[in-house]
Amino acid sequence: MSAVRRWLFSLGRFALFCGDFLKAAIRQPPPPGATMAEAYRIGIRSMPILLIISAFVGTNLSLQGYYAFKPLGGQSLVGMFVALAGVRELAPIIAASMIAAKAGTEMASQIAVMRIQQQIDALEVMAVNPHWYLITPRLLGIVLVMPALTTIAMYVMVAAAYVVGVYQLGLNGAEFLEFAVQAADTRDLFYGGLKAMIFGVIICMVSCYNGFYSGHGARGVGTATNTAVVTAAVTCVVLNYFISEMVYG
Amino acid sequence: MADSVSNDLSNSVTNSPKPLMYLEDVWKSFGSLEVLKGVSFAFPEGKTTAIVGPSGTGKSVLLKHLVGLLEPDRGKVMVFGTDMAQASEREKFAVRRRMGMLFQDGALFDSMTVGENIEFPLVHHQKELSRDQRRARVAEVLEQVELPGLEDRPTSALSGGQRKRVGLARAIVTRPEVILFDEPNSGLDPITSDAIDALISSMQARLGITFIVISHDIVGTVNVADYIGMLYGGSLIEYGPTEDVLRSENDIVRRFLHRNLELPHETGAGARLPGLERWRDK
Amino acid sequence: MEWLATLGRFGLFAGRVARRLIHPSWRLGDFTQQLYLVTTRCLGPVIAVTLPFGMVIALQGLQIFAMFGSEHLLASLVSVTVIRELSPVLASVLVAAQGGSAFAAELGSMRIKEEIDATEVMAVDGIAYHVVPRVLAVTLACPMLNLVGSIAGIAGAFITAVVFRGEQAGVFMAQLWAFTQPSDLWGSLLKTAIFGVIIGLISCYHGYNASGGAAGVGKAVNETVVYSVLAFITANYFLTTALFGQSS
Repeated sequence: MSAVRRWLFSLGRFALFCGDFLKAAIRQPPPPGATMAEAYRIGIRSMPILLIISAFVGTNLSLQGYYAFKPLGGQSLVGMFVALAGVRELAPIIAASMIAAKAGTEMASQIAVMRIQQQIDALEVMAVNPHWYLITPRLLGIVLVMPALTTIAMYVMVAAAYVVGVYQLGLNGAEFLEFAVQAADTRDLFYGGLKAMIFGVIICMVSCYNGFYSGHGARGVGTATNTAVVTAAVTCVVLNYFISEMVYG
Repeated sequence: MADSVSNDLSNSVTNSPKPLMYLEDVWKSFGSLEVLKGVSFAFPEGKTTAIVGPSGTGKSVLLKHLVGLLEPDRGKVMVFGTDMAQASEREKFAVRRRMGMLFQDGALFDSMTVGENIEFPLVHHQKELSRDQRRARVAEVLEQVELPGLEDRPTSALSGGQRKRVGLARAIVTRPEVILFDEPNSGLDPITSDAIDALISSMQARLGITFIVISHDIVGTVNVADYIGMLYGGSLIEYGPTEDVLRSENDIVRRFLHRNLELPHETGAGARLPGLERWRDK
Repeated sequence: MEWLATLGRFGLFAGRVARRLIHPSWRLGDFTQQLYLVTTRCLGPVIAVTLPFGMVIALQGLQIFAMFGSEHLLASLVSVTVIRELSPVLASVLVAAQGGSAFAAELGSMRIKEEIDATEVMAVDGIAYHVVPRVLAVTLACPMLNLVGSIAGIAGAFITAVVFRGEQAGVFMAQLWAFTQPSDLWGSLLKTAIFGVIIGLISCYHGYNASGGAAGVGKAVNETVVYSVLAFITANYFLTTALFGQSS
């Protein structure tokens, strides 16, 4: 039962952490210049990874959709399958996972290193609120950037699926696109962007929390980073179900 | 037996002339480990007070209470008239703006240059200053810590001694009323350590503000401190002006000091060490 | 062309691991311990991810099939998608994020604190002692976790379809295996074993070669997760084409 107790303790401390952050953030504007720097870092540095992974997820959507529907004589439905599964569900989750893996781990490890080198204590002693100083730019940066990244992931996914479908599997390109467009429209882009922002908030707060309360030494930094990415990813996936249920159910 | 000694000490401590900051009967435990047991300690204004003791006696814990990073289970921590044990975040921040602290490894921000680190408190608390005024002030303090012209050096390229100096520069840039030093000599070779001691002494003489030093390095402490307090096993076992502490009858104190210093009324090699010169001249 | 050099170094590392594998210089006890650790650490997260995803697939799938009045086909779509693709990929991502980063963190902090150097000075081969058991453990654990993930994913779909949407349980279960074949299962087990090798090698490589203090450990964990996922997602495309291209 102590594992459950520990988990509840963490949850409570996380809630307090978010509360402290909100109290501090509301009182003053964000640190100047830092938000754009973070947005750039998060966005640009995650882009290449995101593009490659979205592409290969798209290719496999095409492949598996084809293998699944062919026995039913429904190859033409592949376009619809790709759009439905890819745009509505996989793209936001893929984007969230990759941002958690790249930007989230960076946030966690940067803040953890600051913690073990007493830099967070130094901020407090210099009467600068560490929650406000460290988290605000990262949160704003990620929320700004996530919808754009998710949309790009969607397009790349469908494009890669198209390429595989037409050139590897011999599907009819026009048919593919026609069914794809039927299944996913601007509403889905909007919801995808919304999901993305929510995931961005989760990733940022979970990663910063883990960095803030990191244990000692190099090991503490590693553990904080590890916990951050797993917690963020799992939370996003679970939340994704509830959001989808509300939006599409 | 140590308890009655501490009680006497407590009384003499809080009745000392003009304590700017003091602890009164502070108790602190972490789980089942009692780190501070009824510690009372005063820090006379304008003087350098050192807290010494073996590793793990709670010196750093005591220091953290002074800046409000920790709160005691019992007791008062008075800083500029505010009880840090009861203060709100806002009150604590107001107090901290009048203090500066040098952390053990400098606690500098690695992503910034030396200049950016030093002007950090100015950027956040003296917003009325223009960029040029800030730069001028940064150059001024860099001169004082004997590192002129290093504003644009990245922090990661500094040596241990340089990090301490930059940390000190950052601590004094806002002209605080009190500066705290957490183990200023740790991790330094003897020559650099002496240089840092000399810097601390000269800054004290020049700025005339209150210094509080935590150290396990006895020689360095004797060099710089006007008052010394010794923590042992969570209690204050000796306190007073440096010369008096060096003459202490307390067994533990003598053992602790004796390792590095030739104590008075012992014949022999005598004043090998710089600290004793100062003592001898009094 | 810096990445080419890194790729080369990684290749050498992988070669060293492979050679040590053949010699009996690693210990079974270490392997079983690592296997236990990886499995217990990753089990929760894998289920926590595959279950909701199964639910979401059922949710979206029912929407398509409702258009054609063939909801009963949902079960087969789910089982095929989950077993062949979703579970292997999702489970492996979590194994990389949880198991792989743990390896990188452990080995990284050992490297930073010079413990690995100490081992070698005592004439014990660091790679045989630390790396081989971990790589083997994750190679075995990944398919097992994939299996659990598949079950969880299908269970999730069941929950959505039958409990929430009122499809018939009997129909669901009957149709579940209608289009799955044994080769699907073997294919996904093989895929995940290969993913496991990739995750193991990449995470141990980054941990073993960490540098730059505590920040270096953080960086090692960061790069491990990103590059492992990148590597096996890419491999996944080629494997899927090879493995499942024949079976329809």
